[in-house]
Amino acid sequence: MLGGIRTAVDAATVLLGWTFRSRTKNKISESRIGFAPNEIGGRMVTVAPKKVNARRWSLLSGALMFACLVVAIVLGDTPAAYTLPIHKVVAIPAFARKYGLPCSACHTAWPKLNNFGMTFRDNGYQLMNDRDSPIYQNPSYFPITMRITPNWHLEHNTNQAVDTTPGNGATAGSSNVTTHGFDLSGIDLWTAGTLYNNISFSLLPSSDENASFHFENAFVRFDNLKGSSWFNFKFGKFELNNLISEKRFLFLSANGGSYQSYHFVPPGDTNDFGMGDNQIGVELMGHSKNDYTRYSVAVLSANDGNVDFLSAFGTPSGRTYDTYLTFDQAFDLGSFGIQRVGGYAYIGERPTYYQTGGGTPLYGIGNKPFYRVGFTGDLNFGKLNIMPFYMHGHDNVFLGNGVPSNMASSLPAGAQGPAWNAGFVEFGYYQSPQLVIIGRYELVRMQAQANSANPSNLGNIDAYAVGFRWYPIMFSRAGLALHTEYAITKNIGIAPLSGTGSASVNPNDPTVWSSSFMVGFDFDF
Amino acid sequence: MKRIAITFALMLPVVVLLLLTSASPCLAQIDHNIKPVNGSAEAKVGGLTGHAAGEQQGGIMLYRRFCVGCHGPAGDGTGENAQWIDPKPRDFTLAVFKCRSTPTGTLPTDDDLFNAVTRGFDTTNMPSWRPLTDQQRANLVAAVKSFSPRWQNEKPGTPITIPAETPINIESVLRGRALFQKMECWKCHGPAGHGDGPSASTLTDSKDNPIRPYNFSTGTRFKCGTTNQDLYRIFMTGLDGTPMPSFNDVLKPEDAWDLVHFLRTLQPLTTQEASLWKAYETAHRSEIKPIGPDNGAGGSK
Amino acid sequence: MKTKFFVTLAAVVLAGSAMLVAAGPPAGNGTITGKVTYTGTPPKMKPIDMTKEPSCAKQHATPVTTENVMTGPGNTLEDVVVFISAGDAGPAEPSGAARYDQKGCQYLPHVLPMQVGQQLQIYNDDQTSHNIHPLAKTNQEWNKSQPAGSPPIDTKYEKPEFIPVKCNIHPWMHGYFVVLSTGHYSVTGQDGAFSLKGLPAGKYTVTAWQEQYGTQTQDVTLGAGESKAITFSFKALPY
Repeated sequence: MLGGIRTAVDAATVLLGWTFRSRTKNKISESRIGFAPNEIGGRMVTVAPKKVNARRWSLLSGALMFACLVVAIVLGDTPAAYTLPIHKVVAIPAFARKYGLPCSACHTAWPKLNNFGMTFRDNGYQLMNDRDSPIYQNPSYFPITMRITPNWHLEHNTNQAVDTTPGNGATAGSSNVTTHGFDLSGIDLWTAGTLYNNISFSLLPSSDENASFHFENAFVRFDNLKGSSWFNFKFGKFELNNLISEKRFLFLSANGGSYQSYHFVPPGDTNDFGMGDNQIGVELMGHSKNDYTRYSVAVLSANDGNVDFLSAFGTPSGRTYDTYLTFDQAFDLGSFGIQRVGGYAYIGERPTYYQTGGGTPLYGIGNKPFYRVGFTGDLNFGKLNIMPFYMHGHDNVFLGNGVPSNMASSLPAGAQGPAWNAGFVEFGYYQSPQLVIIGRYELVRMQAQANSANPSNLGNIDAYAVGFRWYPIMFSRAGLALHTEYAITKNIGIAPLSGTGSASVNPNDPTVWSSSFMVGFDFDF
Repeated sequence: MKRIAITFALMLPVVVLLLLTSASPCLAQIDHNIKPVNGSAEAKVGGLTGHAAGEQQGGIMLYRRFCVGCHGPAGDGTGENAQWIDPKPRDFTLAVFKCRSTPTGTLPTDDDLFNAVTRGFDTTNMPSWRPLTDQQRANLVAAVKSFSPRWQNEKPGTPITIPAETPINIESVLRGRALFQKMECWKCHGPAGHGDGPSASTLTDSKDNPIRPYNFSTGTRFKCGTTNQDLYRIFMTGLDGTPMPSFNDVLKPEDAWDLVHFLRTLQPLTTQEASLWKAYETAHRSEIKPIGPDNGAGGSK
Repeated sequence: MKTKFFVTLAAVVLAGSAMLVAAGPPAGNGTITGKVTYTGTPPKMKPIDMTKEPSCAKQHATPVTTENVMTGPGNTLEDVVVFISAGDAGPAEPSGAARYDQKGCQYLPHVLPMQVGQQLQIYNDDQTSHNIHPLAKTNQEWNKSQPAGSPPIDTKYEKPEFIPVKCNIHPWMHGYFVVLSTGHYSVTGQDGAFSLKGLPAGKYTVTAWQEQYGTQTQDVTLGAGESKAITFSFKALPY
């Protein structure tokens, strides 16, 4: 069975690489960039113009991945795989060091959590063994870890603005842009654990590749209130309780390293919300003792997790509060493992214009609602893990058209609140605790355009990603993964979420194919 | 430029391959080749059959994911982290276990091992593995059994009979207190159960590691459970591998229940026994002889 | 003439076989005797402080000492178990139970040899509780409480092993069960002397075991009814 899957994955990889070369389609183009800055701790973004044949690079990427994959599978499970010339190091990942468990106990493949690890996190980073309080640790223990991924990557975008005569801005044209080279990711410096029995904390200063820092999360959580696992109160900036966590998934490339669904806003929409962005507020969360049943209720500021009462665009945010509700339930399917399904609903408002003072915006007003609802799943069939996800998103008509709510006459004729359906299926095949093959297909389909003059497919996205991670060492001190990934997205009338390119400038073709290929060493200690 | 990029891209897997297969003076710290003695061991827990073997979720595969860091690839308690852990991880090759329903010196039942894995051990690094499915835990029990040949040659002991609990009243508590004195529990556990008896500081386990007796005044969960039945079972089967002996041959069942009721009064938990004792102690303070040497003439409490 | 010879021969053979059959396994009356001595300097035995157990402390006018290396005059080693480890017919019918006493918070004898399957009785002669905790690895390790005045513990071991015995309550108490698969064994006294009796003719391996210095072996070939003397010499270190 392994041989069959291997062949299938390899074939798919090469096929994908060859198939998704650039193409043009006859649709009217219309583009407005409208997506929130990507807040995932430091994913790489580099653009440098170069002109290379897209088809050859796609094929090469596929072939290279095939080669690396073969190497990893062959060596993934044999003793030779562990004879790396690494001497004993002293520093160790925080929780593994505290409790002596290997990384694989809590992570299917770090950073993705398995059920035991999720229970540990939901307990407030506690094993509940009466030794969780920091008083029991050696004073030299410091709960900090750092993660960075030096890599080599290649970015390719079609229908970009390219001057036909280099250096002459008057010779504008549209063409493909390919860039590649060695690069760094940002760095995560994460400290988390317990301040005391049943009081946990997390602080994650995260930088992009230019060492520009922001706080990805910073919170205090009061765990097991009233002695019950059903009441845990979190205060601060934190990741939403998404069953499928974008912060903990196994994709790192520019095009693969985000869920489209978690950030999508249609072209022309002035909403800055992304479900994958960490938010600031409070959360009441509860779970059963074995973590099979989980719920959360959160109240968050309407600023997409940005500080100083600013929106993601740097403009003043409104004074309303969003609500987020989740629920998930796990089922014990015997030797298959645990199957988990859940649902979520995010309901919020965003301002459409500002109260000003002397002409300067003071705070946002004219708040109009939006929501994101859907279901998620985390299913296991032996070594295969499949995660389906569905979202229905809807923004108010004023948000969707970028029109202040007190100027209804400025709405274009036939304007409506944009609505869309998005979803993905992600799979991971865990050949061993040290080798995982990953893949994902995602799509976004507009259901109702904000402006009826827009073509019906404006803003539609298809995204594909495939890759593998091989962990040559797997113990409680540090982690290292060889990460190889290929991702390609098809963006109609919208700039790719990867940020590596802009929306199509080709008047005959609104589609931008954006692809990334990446090989890097992801390490943390 | 293109050519350089292509060359590099093709070189990368070759370089990685070379790195991995080159001889190295320092081998990686952890050996993931789990070495069971009997790779096809099985366990029967409730209606489930646990298997050590199995590519998908077999016990040995799960052991590698969850257990090897402390218990080691040979199951002998010498995992990479064992040197920093106290108490040390269990050595499965000896097949000596603390929490059993079977008499001292005999093998535990599969259910005993299943309960130990599910419950974990408070005040140690052994977590509760309840978030795993029942089948996964049954497979892990089979994996535990795969490390010692004793399981192939011996059958588990016959679980001791735990008769129905006798009524909880102050007379039972007082009889239990007399037994605590007479059986000399206080020599290790201390007159007030603080784990500070005269012999407490010299106690070593069967591997000569220092070990402390249970300190009742902390109220932490017993190694082997939380209920009165669990407490009864602890001293009537003994905690093998530790200084805690079995009292099965020297205590009658009703005496054992009296002792259970008294031991509860030493814990800071809200129990019927504790409130009975508090009331009695307040009323009869001058009559109570302290526990300790010389049959209570000296010592505290 | 020939007939008579053969008849006589047959009679002799028959008689001889009958004797053999009647006699059972070859009894023999060969012996291996000798002495166990040491060279070098043995460690000094330290006095044991029993103040934590007054009921035992008062049983000893002068404090008892540790017993891991017991010596006698003339550089002899005491408490060495000498036994046939190869060449004999295996365990014999034990003549009763082996007896182990806890008296004055000491194990008497310090080293108790016994045969596999032989009944072992452990007595508590003290006014204090002991827990009897033989640290077997090949046999089962068990741990039982034996309060003052309890009846003896009755048990046996099925596999040969050198089993250290300890009491957790009284950490200075150390002893050994030496479980053997032979009926021919002897423990040296202060004079270091041992004797293995009742050996039929044959090739034997004799092993001497001392708890601190381990084992030594020698091969001895005995003729019928022969008596041989051998010596064992252990190298003693002062620690």
